Amino acid sequence: MENEDLVELRNVRKAFGEVVALDNVTFSVKKREIHGLLGENGSGKTTLMNILYGLYSPDKGEIYFEGKGVKIPSPFDSIRLGIGMVHQASTLVPEFTATENIILGTEGDKYSLPLDREREKIKEISKNLGVKFPLNIKVKELSAGIKQKIEIIRALYRGAKLLILDEPTTSLVESEFQELLKSLKALLNSGVTIIFITHKIKEALQACDRVTVLRRGRVQGIEKREDTNKEKLVKLMFMEKEIRVTESALPKVELPPCKKSKDPVLILKNVTVEGGEKSIGLHNVSFEVYGGEILGIASVSGNGEKELAEITINPYKIKNGDILISGKSIKNHETLDVFANRVFYTPEDRIKEGVLPEGSIKENILLGHHAKERFIRNNIFINWEEARKAAVDVIKNYNVMTPTEELAIRRLSGGNIQKVIIGRAFVSPINLLVTHNPTSGLDISTVEFIFKKLVETRNSGSAVLWINEDLDELMIISDRIAILHKGELKEIFERESFDKYKIGLLMIGG
Amino acid sequence: MKKSVKRTESSIIIRNVFAYFISVLLALGVMSVIILLFGFNVSKVLKTLLTASFRTSFGFQETIKKTIPLIFTTFAFTLPFKIKFFNTGGWGQMLFGATMVAVTGLFLSNSGITLPTYIIIPLLIIVGILAGGFFGLIAGFLTAKYNINPIISTIMLNFVGVQFLNFIATNSYFKDPLEGHPITLPLPKSATLGFFGGIPHSIIFAVVSVLFVYILIKKTRLGYEINAIGYNLDAAKTYGINFPRIIMLTFFIAGALGGLAGTFEVMNIHKKLVEGFALTSGAQYGTFGILTSLIVAGNPIGVPFSAFLMSVLLVGADALQRTMQVPVELVFLSQALIVLFIVIIRQRFERGR
Amino acid sequence: MSFINSFISQTIVYTVVYTLTSLGIVVSGRAGIFNVAGEGIMLASASSGFLAAYLTGNALFGFIVGSLMGAVFGLIIAFVHEKFKVNQFILGISLVILGTGLSDLLYKLIIGVRLTAPRSPATPLVKIPLISRIPVFSAFLTQDVIVYFMYIVSIFLWWFYYRTKLGLETRAIGENPKAADVVGVNVTKRRYLSTIIGSALIGIAGAYLPISITGTYTPDISAGRGFMAIGIAIFASWRPERAILGGFLFAAIEVISFRLQVISRTIPYQFLLMLPFILVLVVMIIFNKQIEFPASVGKPYSRE
Repeated sequence: MENEDLVELRNVRKAFGEVVALDNVTFSVKKREIHGLLGENGSGKTTLMNILYGLYSPDKGEIYFEGKGVKIPSPFDSIRLGIGMVHQASTLVPEFTATENIILGTEGDKYSLPLDREREKIKEISKNLGVKFPLNIKVKELSAGIKQKIEIIRALYRGAKLLILDEPTTSLVESEFQELLKSLKALLNSGVTIIFITHKIKEALQACDRVTVLRRGRVQGIEKREDTNKEKLVKLMFMEKEIRVTESALPKVELPPCKKSKDPVLILKNVTVEGGEKSIGLHNVSFEVYGGEILGIASVSGNGEKELAEITINPYKIKNGDILISGKSIKNHETLDVFANRVFYTPEDRIKEGVLPEGSIKENILLGHHAKERFIRNNIFINWEEARKAAVDVIKNYNVMTPTEELAIRRLSGGNIQKVIIGRAFVSPINLLVTHNPTSGLDISTVEFIFKKLVETRNSGSAVLWINEDLDELMIISDRIAILHKGELKEIFERESFDKYKIGLLMIGG
Repeated sequence: MKKSVKRTESSIIIRNVFAYFISVLLALGVMSVIILLFGFNVSKVLKTLLTASFRTSFGFQETIKKTIPLIFTTFAFTLPFKIKFFNTGGWGQMLFGATMVAVTGLFLSNSGITLPTYIIIPLLIIVGILAGGFFGLIAGFLTAKYNINPIISTIMLNFVGVQFLNFIATNSYFKDPLEGHPITLPLPKSATLGFFGGIPHSIIFAVVSVLFVYILIKKTRLGYEINAIGYNLDAAKTYGINFPRIIMLTFFIAGALGGLAGTFEVMNIHKKLVEGFALTSGAQYGTFGILTSLIVAGNPIGVPFSAFLMSVLLVGADALQRTMQVPVELVFLSQALIVLFIVIIRQRFERGR
Repeated sequence: MSFINSFISQTIVYTVVYTLTSLGIVVSGRAGIFNVAGEGIMLASASSGFLAAYLTGNALFGFIVGSLMGAVFGLIIAFVHEKFKVNQFILGISLVILGTGLSDLLYKLIIGVRLTAPRSPATPLVKIPLISRIPVFSAFLTQDVIVYFMYIVSIFLWWFYYRTKLGLETRAIGENPKAADVVGVNVTKRRYLSTIIGSALIGIAGAYLPISITGTYTPDISAGRGFMAIGIAIFASWRPERAILGGFLFAAIEVISFRLQVISRTIPYQFLLMLPFILVLVVMIIFNKQIEFPASVGKPYSRE
């Protein structure tokens, strides 16, 4: 029966401490449909699906699968029912091969390890889906796109009837997205139901038969593809917020005409950097960034963008070539010496690399400036009074919601933490801001705030090097976009000639 | 705005004290069971244990004498603990510092070189600092360069320190021919410290060390970098903090503090190098330093108080064994239990925040 | 020839201590728990195991009690870590101190002070008929039951971790507990089991010291071996089949430095006694680049 519900979550409530992530949510998916779960970052989509998958338990509410009430205390139970989930971040064991990852935890004889037999079975399943990947290489050496395919096969290998995909397009470009859609249609045909979590309206409209919109932990509406459009979905996602949005439900921020400086602030000349385990490094990259412009770097994760982002904090890693700030080479400088040239950097993983979680906001703002004259007395002692002043300024100018600068930064929301990180960059005047994925995982108001700050910085004459995973975002406020593929700089597009499809193709080597 | 911050800080201290009391009660409970099982009188045991330090002036002096080296070995553990490393080598650093001080002092006197007090005492203190610091630095270097866990390297060095001390104390050049136990000749009088009444002069240095650590951690750039690494190593590295340099510095200073523990035991208390001097109430000063440090959770000002309390219990333990034949290990064990309980309770507070 | 035989025999005996302890550390380490309490567990098991053997007149009973004591420590580690998320190193160090105190306390309370130390009953030997004729080989095999136990356990663990699905799942926990969790592996249960079993192995090693090697319990009978075993586990890259090799190497060094003491005139014996400890560090420096850790060992895991 086509119109039957496969799964229903009823009246689900989930709170983490004082924060209510889900408030009386009822969500259902019919058999053999692709159902989108749409909402901005922080709306509760992943939490809801984690409950369905057994990673979280709801404070209140019931789950019904194939008409029967069920309890799902752990993934073991959801897998048993036939539910599979592909998370946003990879959940593979990096040291294991694809085969080992796929058979991990499956039932059957636990006292043997028949890898050959399993390999055949995996090849079968992959062929049916039109997917191919190496089976005997440690997955840590594979790209994000391939790892995602492995995770999908891992779910199907266990006979999943329901496949949950959490933000599957994060690392995919336009053409790869179309490929994914084809695979999903093939899955539908073979009887699998799909839940597609996303915050991108355009993708939801393309991929999904129906879409449930979540906002702040509540269901705002359920729309059918044929009866809805981008405007309706924007309204449901953001409601009364006074934000103008673009095609892809991103903040629309104006970019005044570009007034480039005469001389470039940042020059890279034939820079080669060795890659690491997860990335290719940089090969012979040359480009310039001028004051008064935002240069966006578009690349698929793992193509050298991390090394490029870190070029100012690790200039010693440059094997060949040179890097100049305002005409001066910084090739063998230490991080703090680079910063002394009016440069600052914000890393992509804000919690892991950007802040001191248990440290106070004050201590966090000092980070990166802790060697500067303003904050040091007699070369040994820290001038905490100045540090406090700097912190209070940032809190005021960046609207950080906190009662005091002494609060441990981890108590702040993700958006407020990012505001501190960005505010920190401007504690001393800078000519160059290097920023990597500053908007990831943030709600739309904060994203708008960050866009406005980047434009402000650019308007004041500074140069902005903006490495960003999301091409849609780059296209909104970049003056130029450069594409990085396999560590090489492919092409630079001027704003007038931005073309999403062309750029996307170059990003994957087309 | 400031009020809520002050409230947070004092509430942390209150929580710590609360945690300590609950842990003591719990440990007491476990200990009482053992005490009763083996036929001792619980209240008599407790009374002896807690009052031995205060009944006689001798008891009090003994307590102070234990507190001083304990303050040093506690800091030796606390400092690297701030960057999430465990310096379990306080004992070896204490031994090596003491040994090198004895070696230097005896070498000078054996060679007939006499130096005035105001030269030789600072000289020996510096030797103690450098020797202990060297031991610490080895561990720090091995961690920085080869990623070798300091727990392993410092403990290996502990055993090296033990053997080296034994070697010096039995070596014909240094040893006292009249003693059966490995003990060296006495240090020249000019190289020794005296007492204020019953209180050793080294107490001044202990107090100075508290101030030193406090200022280092709270006010200096090095202290900021140490704290930053302790909060988040990746973020600290991202923003230019030199991790290898800080590890080595931290372990050097920690080792130096451990070395000072040994230095003053030799210069002030024993006035010669005695094998086994670094043991007290059945265990090493280094071990008690670790326990004290875990109880205080890293606050430098709390260290002398905690060390004093710990010493009260150690003096009490000695008295227990002497007068009631209750093994010292009972107190030793209960200290370990207290630490275990405190650490658990503290985590529960953390998770509630 | 008889020198080699006696050297090997003596070394194998100490190999048991090093190997079983490092295997115990490997087993819990593969599930993500870095057990640094080995020294304390060894002492507590040495004391309780010896007392049990002495009081019952049965050596095997002593081993059972020793392993149970180890298991209890393992249970404490797993429980405190999983339930309260206490740092594994703080926990381990506290338990070393606790175990040290407990071991001497038990002995003092039960035996007290005596003029002659009480002796434990001997461990039964196993002699395989034909093999006892072959020169070097026999030295490896004409040993007590626990030596055979060590051989069997080493092989078994290698087979378990690398030839079974259960072992694959357990290793996954040590590498990436989230990955194991999302495919339905019970991370908590495996960690409990691994730590309890691993610590029980350490307990057997601990009991072996007074029962089979020295014949009686003395304070500090473990002499740092619990820590050196951590070094062995690391240097073996947490692989059971390499742990026994590391154990043999360290035992050999210990025996050599012992024997050298007796014959050496020039080198003061204290420096020879330092050898094993310095060697741990040297070995870790040399093999530094090749050492691999289970990626998540030492870190707590929670779903949120």
